Amino acid sequence: MRATRLPLLLLLLPVLLLGLASCNDRCEETRITRRFTPVTLSLLELRNDLKTEAPRAMEHPGKIYVRDKYLFINEVKEGIHIIDNSNPASPRAVAFVRIPGNGDMAVRGNILYADSYSDLVALDITDPTQPKEVSRVGEVFKSGMFDGGSWNYNASIRAINEQKVEYVTETVTTNCEENAVNPGWWWGGGVAFLMADASFSRAQSSVAASAPSGGDGKGGSMARFALYDRYLYTVGQNDLKLFDVSNPAKPVDFATVNLGWGIETIFPYKDKLFIGSMTGMHIYDNSNPASPQKLSVFEHLRACDPVVVQDNIAYVTLRTGTACTNAQNQLDLVDITDLTRPQLIKSYSMQNPHGLSIDYPTLYLCEGQHGLKTFDVSDRFGVDKNLLYHMKNLDAYDVITMGKTLLMIGKDGFYQFDATNPRELRQISKLVVGKKNGI
Amino acid sequence: MKKVLIPLLAALGFVTAAMGQNASFKKAYVNHTEIGLLLGNVRYVPYVGSGEMVEKRQNLTVQMFNGLQLSRRLAAGVTVGMDRYTAALVTPIMAGVRYDLTRKENARFFASADAGYGFTWFHSDATNYHTQGGLALNPGLGLRFGKPAATNFTLSMGYKYQQVTVDKPPFWTDTERTETRLYNRLALRLGLSF
Repeated sequence: MRATRLPLLLLLLPVLLLGLASCNDRCEETRITRRFTPVTLSLLELRNDLKTEAPRAMEHPGKIYVRDKYLFINEVKEGIHIIDNSNPASPRAVAFVRIPGNGDMAVRGNILYADSYSDLVALDITDPTQPKEVSRVGEVFKSGMFDGGSWNYNASIRAINEQKVEYVTETVTTNCEENAVNPGWWWGGGVAFLMADASFSRAQSSVAASAPSGGDGKGGSMARFALYDRYLYTVGQNDLKLFDVSNPAKPVDFATVNLGWGIETIFPYKDKLFIGSMTGMHIYDNSNPASPQKLSVFEHLRACDPVVVQDNIAYVTLRTGTACTNAQNQLDLVDITDLTRPQLIKSYSMQNPHGLSIDYPTLYLCEGQHGLKTFDVSDRFGVDKNLLYHMKNLDAYDVITMGKTLLMIGKDGFYQFDATNPRELRQISKLVVGKKNGI
Repeated sequence: MKKVLIPLLAALGFVTAAMGQNASFKKAYVNHTEIGLLLGNVRYVPYVGSGEMVEKRQNLTVQMFNGLQLSRRLAAGVTVGMDRYTAALVTPIMAGVRYDLTRKENARFFASADAGYGFTWFHSDATNYHTQGGLALNPGLGLRFGKPAATNFTLSMGYKYQQVTVDKPPFWTDTERTETRLYNRLALRLGLSF
């Protein structure tokens, strides 16, 4: 190099040093997180607040229930949207029943059963535009969860202590590595962890198929309410409650069966009850509906897990995510020929499975933000090879098959599909969250 | 001082300069392959209320420019690279130019500029993590050693900018968790060009 070039090199050196000192990676992690605020609500207040109101837009849709041409869509913790679905191409909202603390529902005949925090309410829906409260079983549920916030009944003051949930956006700087360095600060502690875990299922929208019998509607794979014979079964976080509904307008608190921890869903199939918990699937013999008997438990890693059953196979989904850590995302096929000894047939990897519904041999499976999948499950060892259809670009929480039509709910709205050809689902209609459509 | 200013002025007016080349020049294929380091720091607040932390970062980068020598000074083409950040493997594909600031010496200054998109095709994510690439920019200055027509050895330094976003599994009270990363690095590279 010639000497004349040296000044140039010397000029570059300080630039280099400056560069080294000032090159900072900037990494920020943004999370939308729940913030809990304690709230007390008296029983008098919540009972006074049950009202039928004009139809309104869905904001935070929860579970779905179908009865004939009517759809019932839960607005988490707020009430129930009643929708006239006589024309699936244009469902029409007819009323909104404000029921404080509502998460679940079931319909027999003209009576709609709904929970309202601690109470079970029976509403006459002969005129769906004007549901009327006909009876109430008070103070039967002691605690529950909505969207991560828990509530419990305080018998001494006859009020509900609950947590209001708000979503806030937090931004923190990170070191640009896969995980933030110090996990200590957001970890509220073990107790809170379990609490949120249990909650998630409750907040889930949910639909799936339970066999409808005379006058009963159809609920979802994540429903906590089920009707069978003379009884309404409701699962709480750790027990199963039976209400005698031989007089549908007048449910009577009948019995309580202790189930253990983390109960999420109930799925009656033939004379059996399949109860999904965070630790496994409980199978109960329900041949005497007044007194279900435990047959077995199919244990798995802790996970959120709706169940559906067809003949001698149970389809169980496990997923990771928000509240359901420590598990894999998978679909398990379980042989239940011997109900006392359920046996795993095969596990299939999934993306983030939520609710599911079966119209044999077609299995509809919600994959959360990854959409909706349709499988042919006639080859039980080759389910993954028989993916018929994968509908992306929508959020799918739970699905219910009505044979030719398919009802599906996700964060962004409620969909109806023509499922005549499971390989090519065709959207018939959609109710968009936050919009006054169908009203 | 004059000797310093001339190349800088040349850099500013390089487009006009590039047009004023003599007609006898023949277009040819150029390859410029470099290996180097991306150096920088990261400053962050690990948790609310704590002080700021600083960590050093040095990551490997390789890149290959393939282009056409459009004039005696200017070459344009495509730069494909592989940047191995601590938590992301990025494959930038950029439009690039190489411009000689000085002429005829056996050690010549050149300017380079690359702009494009960094892909994460070869990055392997942990379960439930989803890493996506973004804008990639890489302006720089370098020195070329060797005869103009022959294989040259190069030394260069530049600024490297790379965007990456990561979708992460939410923690228990979260519904969403994403990270945006802006890598700002000093790039030091050794290379060969022919």
